[in-house]
Amino acid sequence: MEKDIILKVENLNVDFGEDRVIEDLSFDLKEKELLVILGPNGAGKSTLLKTLLGLIPYQGKIQWKNDVHIGYVPNEFVIPEGLPLNLKEFFQFKKDSPEKIFQALEWVGIKASEKNLEKRLYTFSSGQLRRTLIAWAMSDEPNILFLDEPMLCIDIHGRETIYDSLVKLWEEKKQSIILVSHEIGEVCKKADKILALDKRKLFYGSPEEVITPQNLAKIYGSSISL
Amino acid sequence: MDLQFLYSLIVGVFIGGVAGYLGSLMITKRMALVGDALGHAALPGIAIALIYGFNPSWGAIPALFFGILLIWFLEIHTKLPMEALTGIVFTASVAIAFLFLPESEVSIALIGDISKINLFDTIVSVTLSLIVFLILKKIFSNMILASISEDLARVEHINTKKHSFIYLVCIAIVVALGIKVTGSLLMGALVITPAAAARNMASNLFQYSFGALIIGAISCLLGILFFKAFSLPAGPLVILSASSIFLISLFFKKR
Repeated sequence: MEKDIILKVENLNVDFGEDRVIEDLSFDLKEKELLVILGPNGAGKSTLLKTLLGLIPYQGKIQWKNDVHIGYVPNEFVIPEGLPLNLKEFFQFKKDSPEKIFQALEWVGIKASEKNLEKRLYTFSSGQLRRTLIAWAMSDEPNILFLDEPMLCIDIHGRETIYDSLVKLWEEKKQSIILVSHEIGEVCKKADKILALDKRKLFYGSPEEVITPQNLAKIYGSSISL
Repeated sequence: MDLQFLYSLIVGVFIGGVAGYLGSLMITKRMALVGDALGHAALPGIAIALIYGFNPSWGAIPALFFGILLIWFLEIHTKLPMEALTGIVFTASVAIAFLFLPESEVSIALIGDISKINLFDTIVSVTLSLIVFLILKKIFSNMILASISEDLARVEHINTKKHSFIYLVCIAIVVALGIKVTGSLLMGALVITPAAAARNMASNLFQYSFGALIIGAISCLLGILFFKAFSLPAGPLVILSASSIFLISLFFKKR
């Protein structure tokens, strides 16, 4: 594996029973690179992330650079109604220092006050929970972040704040990021690579190469204005 | 205070405590009725123990392990939901037990008998309760995380399969121990009711899990004291004490 490559995927196939959900996929991720994965619903985006994380069996080759530490924001995350788990305890699952927890929370726009830390997670709105999850993934400073539609349920203003912070942080810290998103906004323009997926690789390249009206029509099946 | 009664109190408090603590995990994992089902699955073992005159808990342990292994085996080979398989195994166990359980022993099997406890039983019950508590305490936060998101737990390098197996073994031991106190019919309540009461009043996980432990221990203590005072069976009194605390907890419910 080349020196600056953190992840190399070759001829990846994933089957759910008789259905092939990812077909012959190859790509790589360099250190400090931001890779955005686009695709319609059911394209295999979340499955791809889970496969890379080792959560789903596969055929093919997934090679990681040694000592990679991953932060993950899953697509689905629900706190059972009534579970008295507060924000502070949730972060203690990771055994991070309080400073790191506070820093991560502030970064996603949650004030790390004693009052907020004592709030039970099931009382959070979907957006607040999503922010919390992003902070949780960030708190122990991973060198690669997997974000599966991190802006799900976050309002427009919140999205801008978090996307801005995400880009800023990525520019400052230069950790590798794999971001699954439906949005073709600022983050896509800042990305190093875009992977457009619909079970197999449709397009893979720089934003200028991939984000064109013709390509988007092929990816999403209808014309999309930029 | 006679020694026999003291043993009963000690055993009751320890088993009630660990059962409550375990219950806080079981409610979170939506396995509230598993304790009940396993209590029934232990019946053939309890029946054999009662026929041969030894502690029902020691008969319940192999029966429970057999029941759990059978459910696990059937789950792999049938793809039926675990609750359906648990239902099949526990009703079959009840049916088998009642084929040979002497009529005079039915009440002990169903609602327990804490009055016949010797020093050996006390030492073994207290030791097992402590060991199970320490194991559960160690895996508690990982289990909670896994119950919220198994994917997230696995990404955090938590071996969820290993944890689930340890957790099931802990359930089997606690159910086997609890059968001595409440019998197989009421065992589910000893695990669930104290935890449900604690959940009503808790602001955080610590209050929830240790509140369940304390309520479980107090329920057993009160039940056994009432048993001594009124000469009524201890098992139902323990469960009614827990149920009363649950009712009281509704007035202190956190929003």
